[in-house]
Amino acid sequence: MGLASRVLFVPYRKSQPCSRGPTRHWSEMATNGRHTTTTTYVRWGMAIDLKRCTGCQSCTMACKVENGTPAGVFWMRVLEREEGTFPLAQTLYMPLRCNHCAEPPCVPVCPTGASYKRTHDSLVLIDQDKCIGCSACVIACPYQVRFVPRHKTGYHGDQFTPYEDVSYKRWQAGTAQKCTFCVHRLDQGLGPACVETCPTKALVYGNLNDPQSEISKLIRTRTHFQPRAEAGTDPSLFYLT
Amino acid sequence: MANLFNTELRAQQEWSWQLALDLFLGGLGGGLFLLYQTIDLPPVFALVSIGLVIAGAVVLLTELGHPLRAWRAIFKARSSWISRGVLLVSVFVVTACIHIAPTITNSSWRIWGGDDMGAKVISVAAALSALGITLYPGFVISASRSIPFWDTPMLPAIFFTQSMMGGCGILLLASAFDGGQGMPQAASLTIATIFLNLAMIAGYLLLMRRTGAPARESVRLLLQTRLRGLFWLGAVGAGMVLPLVLLSVQSAVGTATVAGALLLSGGLLFRYCMLKAGVYLPLPLAGIDLSKLNRTTDQLAREYSGWTARR
Ligand code: SF4
Ligand code: SF4
Repeated sequence: MGLASRVLFVPYRKSQPCSRGPTRHWSEMATNGRHTTTTTYVRWGMAIDLKRCTGCQSCTMACKVENGTPAGVFWMRVLEREEGTFPLAQTLYMPLRCNHCAEPPCVPVCPTGASYKRTHDSLVLIDQDKCIGCSACVIACPYQVRFVPRHKTGYHGDQFTPYEDVSYKRWQAGTAQKCTFCVHRLDQGLGPACVETCPTKALVYGNLNDPQSEISKLIRTRTHFQPRAEAGTDPSLFYLT
Repeated sequence: MANLFNTELRAQQEWSWQLALDLFLGGLGGGLFLLYQTIDLPPVFALVSIGLVIAGAVVLLTELGHPLRAWRAIFKARSSWISRGVLLVSVFVVTACIHIAPTITNSSWRIWGGDDMGAKVISVAAALSALGITLYPGFVISASRSIPFWDTPMLPAIFFTQSMMGGCGILLLASAFDGGQGMPQAASLTIATIFLNLAMIAGYLLLMRRTGAPARESVRLLLQTRLRGLFWLGAVGAGMVLPLVLLSVQSAVGTATVAGALLLSGGLLFRYCMLKAGVYLPLPLAGIDLSKLNRTTDQLAREYSGWTARR
């Protein structure tokens, strides 16, 4: 059976060899889904276990290393909030990133179509060659996870480190940028850098449309909430509590 | 940068002076053209309004990260108010130019005669697009649900009245050049629009004070903290109250010119303050009870049984 027929006709539970996350097989299906049908086979999502997160910011750093984002720009960051008073005080942590919303308010406000939702896997992405840097999407996102760096400035000013020299070629100054769910890695069958790096395994990603995926099971069994679900954005991000 | 990592309320930083200037110039041009159409002003006012709208567009271009790609912004008019704004400005410039061409050139250059249907259509199209230009900034910013202070249908109406007030400001300024002939009419119109503006802004701020923490914080920024000087002294005091007093007590040409200049500077400051007071919704961690996060190792082991091994 050819790949196209498999995508179209084989019930998806049978064709999913591993329930936890994407494999090469799944990303092939996603890529080919674009040509065969408008049905969304994959909806990438992430579950973040707030009980496991220790606020170490490893995901923040892994994202910076992987994507070469400039100073002041964080596609992934861990929020902190202090609770209580001494001696019963604690700090709460919450990793924050683009939720790849099913109803993303950042997309309709974009005047050029640079912000768009990939039909075959529901990722919200930015075509930097189309973006004019108007910041409408930055303002429209209720999660404050978009950035428009105006200049290419390194961590040491205009003098780039060898790493910055290479990694800064991946983005254009004056255009919007945000978490891509490491789409370049997903398309190779790899997981997002933040997930791979999290030392407490607080981050779990996978296909929300697959009831057998680990993320779907976690969402079924654990108490959880979606950030600002009341805004009608239907985020693909679930905080497990 | 540090405030990206905490959950304090944060005002938007992206839209600032340049966008305020663009909204101001565009609104001014649209308002002036509407006045030109309704109270029979000389054609030079239409020319000035076209120039203002074009100047606003140029200012906007300089604010963009990639101005050379701005042509792409015409394609998403179905969903984006910025796109609609670009189309409105384009339609306005073309139709307003065609509309006034016969009146500022000799008759051999005319495209349409005075009673021609085509001329009427062009005139209506120019007026409607001018109306759109006065309204759309309000729609652009009220489309952002993430900033509750802007999330109200009152904004387009406020931007419209601000534009009309700006148009009146230009009429007052122009009275210095025509010896004050049109001044009485312009002054009474200005006084009416100032009252209307003051009432709408007061109503808007009162409403926003009751709309939740982020909108309340916006009002606090405007009235009591960071922006209070610009708002009270600039936008309200110098931009509305002082012109009102000047026009009410004295009807000299010099006074009208000063009042016109004050109105214009107040209009710019008002737009700037409105943009800078936009406070985002709080981030998700704020206001959520996470006090039950602690649990035993056994509970953790049960929840993750099977999964850790596979990983
Ligand atoms: S989190 Fe923000 S940037 Fe990401 S899809 Fe949702 S609205 Fe858009
Ligand atoms: S900044 Fe770019 S992606 Fe965002 S709305 Fe403007 S054109 Fe679209």
